[in-house]
Amino acid sequence: MLKHLYDTDCVTWSPQGKLFQVEYAMEAVKQGSICLGLKSNENVVLCSLKRQPSELAGYQEKQFKIDDHMAIAIAGLTADARVLCKYMRTECLEYKYTYESHHPVGRLVFKVAEKSQHKTQSGAKRPYGVGLLVAGIDPNGVHLFETCPSGNYYEYKCQAIGSRSQAARTYFESWFHLFEKSTLEQLILHGLSAIKKAIMEDEELNEKNVEVGILGKNLKFTHLNAQELKDYIAKLETFSPNSQIQQE
Amino acid sequence: MIFNSEISGQQQHTTSPVVTGGSVIALVYNGGVIVGSDTLCSYGSMAAFKNVQKIVQISQNTIYASSGEYSDFQQVVKELAKIDRSALQYDDGVHPSPKDYGNFLARLSYKKRCKINPLYLQNVIAGFHNKERYLALVDIYGTYLESNFITTGFASYFCKAIISNYWNENCTLEQAKQVIRECFKVLFCRDCRAHDVIQLAYVDEQGTHIEEPERVETKWDFNGFKSRANEKLHTQ
Repeated sequence: MLKHLYDTDCVTWSPQGKLFQVEYAMEAVKQGSICLGLKSNENVVLCSLKRQPSELAGYQEKQFKIDDHMAIAIAGLTADARVLCKYMRTECLEYKYTYESHHPVGRLVFKVAEKSQHKTQSGAKRPYGVGLLVAGIDPNGVHLFETCPSGNYYEYKCQAIGSRSQAARTYFESWFHLFEKSTLEQLILHGLSAIKKAIMEDEELNEKNVEVGILGKNLKFTHLNAQELKDYIAKLETFSPNSQIQQE
Repeated sequence: MIFNSEISGQQQHTTSPVVTGGSVIALVYNGGVIVGSDTLCSYGSMAAFKNVQKIVQISQNTIYASSGEYSDFQQVVKELAKIDRSALQYDDGVHPSPKDYGNFLARLSYKKRCKINPLYLQNVIAGFHNKERYLALVDIYGTYLESNFITTGFASYFCKAIISNYWNENCTLEQAKQVIRECFKVLFCRDCRAHDVIQLAYVDEQGTHIEEPERVETKWDFNGFKSRANEKLHTQ
């Protein structure tokens, strides 16, 4: 396939019906470090692995609060993520100003998807190079969405995106049937277990390079602090999903 | 809402209403909220349109009524219906709650007021959501007030005493209806722009119910009134 003939811009189709620029944008998402989300009947948990460009640098934040009831985890171009984050925050604020209530989650994801699609249908623009995991709670229930540079969005029970996310997804496939009824603590431990599958051999999870955000029906979005992260990572040693089955 | 006159620059400001609706009275009761209004639209002092429905259902659990300029009322109904239809656009089955409508109307009224071109209305939004009663007033300035009872127009002067004496927030639906009927009796006697045909609508857990118009009982066949005994014919 002579890709290079059809991949110059978004307004060129390939003979196989692909838009290569959009596909390349999705590759950028796969290059970002892993972030994952999982939900139960009451809570959503976002976990991400933070990258440190060098010993001297800090760790790159991957999770952003959009509103009390909504947060995102990003994988891909951080600069593009910031643009979408700002857009989502503005929309939530305007909705709150007009209606005094929280922006329905699905609708905001729809708006982001519309915005993303717009960038895939122009000669002068490029798609956003970032995938978002949107966690939110609204009267319709507990939600976890994924958005793509292509403008598609999907709702998930649990999902992982970014580099080496397949390992985390494999963990999810084995255990996601337990998530619905899990407590918040169990959910966090599942999330950390899944991330552990995705780290490199010489790396280890610690409270500096992992980020956990939690959201619940009566719980505004918060990050776990360093001490809490340490405690949970320590609990990983003795955590096994099998024990959860025995309880039920 | 953007009007052609705003775009072309020939801004007109609503300084006085033309076709007006009378008072609206709304009360909460045990299990819901009830709104009452008469069915008259006046053209100044002329009782021009006597069979007008001024209480409207805007969603499954919300009703809206207002007193003031009737064309503004019709426009607001359209604007509120637009919001409800947005659920269709987004395919997510999320419908605004009564409070969402109330706040939206408050923002809209305030915006128009800031342009010195108000929606010439006292608005009442009533609803029942998540097992809770909701009742709010949005006035011509965009002031938003949630309350257990709302009166607009002349009812604010004549009816508050009746409501205070005969109503409480946990009364039954029938009791609340009687209070409203009594209020409109008094209004028909004292308010020159009132009518004796009223309409009641209430929202409860089952949804909204808008009743058929009914005539309030008033008595005009007093002997003195019929025989005009005290009138003197002046002959010159």
